[in-house]
Amino acid sequence: MAFLLEGFQTALQLHNLFFAFLGVVIGTAVGVLPGIGPMSGVALLIPVTASMTSGLNPAQAATSSIILLAGVYYGAMYGGSTTSILLNTPGESSSVVTALDGYQMAKQGRAGSALAIAAIGSFAAGIVSLIALVLLAEPLSNVALKFGPAEYFSLMILGLAAVSGLAGNSMTKAWMMTVFGLLLSTIGLDSVSGVARFTYNISFLYGGLEFLTVAVGLFALGEVFKAILHNEQNNDGIAKIGRIIPSREELKESTGPIARGSLLGFLVGILPGAGATLASFFSYMLEKKISKHPEKFGKGAIAGVAAPESANNAASGGAMIPLLTLGIPGSGTTAILMGALMMYNVQPGPLLFDEHPDVAWGLIASMFIGNIMLLILNMPLVKIFAKIIETPTKYLLPLIIAISIFGVYAVQVTTFDIFLLLGFGVLGYLLAANDFPLAPLVLGLVLGPMIENNMRRALTTSNGDFFVFIEKPISFVLLIAAILWIVVPFIMKLKGKSVIVNEDM
Amino acid sequence: MSKTFDRVAALTFLAIGVLFMIESLQISKSTYGSVVGPNVFPFLLGLILVVLSIKLLFETIGYPSTRGEKQRLQYKKFWMIFISAIFYAILLEPIGYVITTFLFLIIGFQTVEKGSIWKSIVIAACFSFGVYGLYVKMLQGTLPSWPIWLK
Repeated sequence: MAFLLEGFQTALQLHNLFFAFLGVVIGTAVGVLPGIGPMSGVALLIPVTASMTSGLNPAQAATSSIILLAGVYYGAMYGGSTTSILLNTPGESSSVVTALDGYQMAKQGRAGSALAIAAIGSFAAGIVSLIALVLLAEPLSNVALKFGPAEYFSLMILGLAAVSGLAGNSMTKAWMMTVFGLLLSTIGLDSVSGVARFTYNISFLYGGLEFLTVAVGLFALGEVFKAILHNEQNNDGIAKIGRIIPSREELKESTGPIARGSLLGFLVGILPGAGATLASFFSYMLEKKISKHPEKFGKGAIAGVAAPESANNAASGGAMIPLLTLGIPGSGTTAILMGALMMYNVQPGPLLFDEHPDVAWGLIASMFIGNIMLLILNMPLVKIFAKIIETPTKYLLPLIIAISIFGVYAVQVTTFDIFLLLGFGVLGYLLAANDFPLAPLVLGLVLGPMIENNMRRALTTSNGDFFVFIEKPISFVLLIAAILWIVVPFIMKLKGKSVIVNEDM
Repeated sequence: MSKTFDRVAALTFLAIGVLFMIESLQISKSTYGSVVGPNVFPFLLGLILVVLSIKLLFETIGYPSTRGEKQRLQYKKFWMIFISAIFYAILLEPIGYVITTFLFLIIGFQTVEKGSIWKSIVIAACFSFGVYGLYVKMLQGTLPSWPIWLK
């Protein structure tokens, strides 16, 4: 508790408040803009924050930029709902369900209440998941501290299995992406022995492929190229917003769904690989099942907006738990956040709370503040954000390319990385357009060095005996769980049951 | 899903896997202090990638034959922007950030949609000068400045 108070002290510093505010505003804008989801938004902003915080000392810079980036993350989660409701075009996949009832409400002239309920639900869910985060962080990281290299290796394998098992339509493709990401991570100097691998005497490659370049290329540029090639434009009219304050009746109707959505979303969020999209689907289905008027769903039921919006925000809070306590990102966006932390030499994981308590608790406290800001900002400003939707793609697309190039150049200061960025942009478009999920690739790239080091450390202590991973009980259990995660959906598919998959996280 | 793309992709990844396996054999095997050298992990991964690629190749046999509906893609616009982005990267260091960014944005705006040239110029100028001013002058970052012959 004392730590949390200290965290609030960090988060309430003037510049951190400013960063949280900036993150939330940019995040909402990112979520509202069609085509840029939370993942590309966060990736795009890493270099920008890196240059903004360059005047601070390293620890403060890390805290401030992670505060900003986390703000972008949950801001985007919220912003995505605005387009779903007003335009029937979800800004990102986790608000697909919101469009079902939200757009119907907008058509009936209740867009204002729908947006307000989405904001209130997101806020409540954010607070619930943060309280749970505070309660669970210490005990979980204490457990994780007892892990040795073998256990860590298996835990990360479990993380990869979970994400690959649920991403995309083809598990083969998802696994290919994971392995490809892991392979890319081996390029550069080997951290254990210092031997150069796959560098072919190209000096730029000795440091390995920069995570930032790959992520911005795959997500941000990939999306832009797709928009250019498919000539995506939004010409539909926007629904009128009308009265913003929801009626007392509507509030009463949505209390239950918000509470259930928050809890469910949080639980789903902790599971690696599941993420916000699944959480919003599950909570919508749950509400429909227990509702006294299931026929109302799809025709503008307020519960159909409240529940999934709360769930996807709670899930993004829940996803921070494995990231902060175990050092294992459970989704594409958290993988990018982790990459950002590692750029500042802050290693997420059980030691984070001991080594950098200011970063960990500052982030948690700032998420409380950020959520409050979101609520205050969005109620009156929702009309202004709705205007952002009208930004013509004509200016948006080239600007995103220019920001990506600036960002990568500002951090790396080589033109080599710009070429790499453009290359990964094309690759990102081609792969995503053909059902090869990108999240596992990024996850593999981030986790690769850690998996390899732990594997080699475990094997060194066992003199090269691979059975060490099975002999340690915890490691064995984790590996079994990983195998189950792969096998169970496979069997369900064989039985003809459709498995819900995450299109993008 | 596209049968052709998946087959090409499977073969490409197969080749990548094989390449990594062969190349990892060149890396020195053992290092002082650890039994498992730097070659083991990439070799295993290459092997797994090869196996998965072959699995995908077999899966493509089961795909339904190509569907008729195909969206017309704007290749011309894409190549235009992509090639100007490459020139942007090449020219960035020789002639500086502001000029290249300005030109790239103008070309980009006009490629996506022709017209309102003045608005394009204003936005491009605001962005290129704005970023340069903010980042280099205020935050003391490093960006290639003006070309020598302009100074």
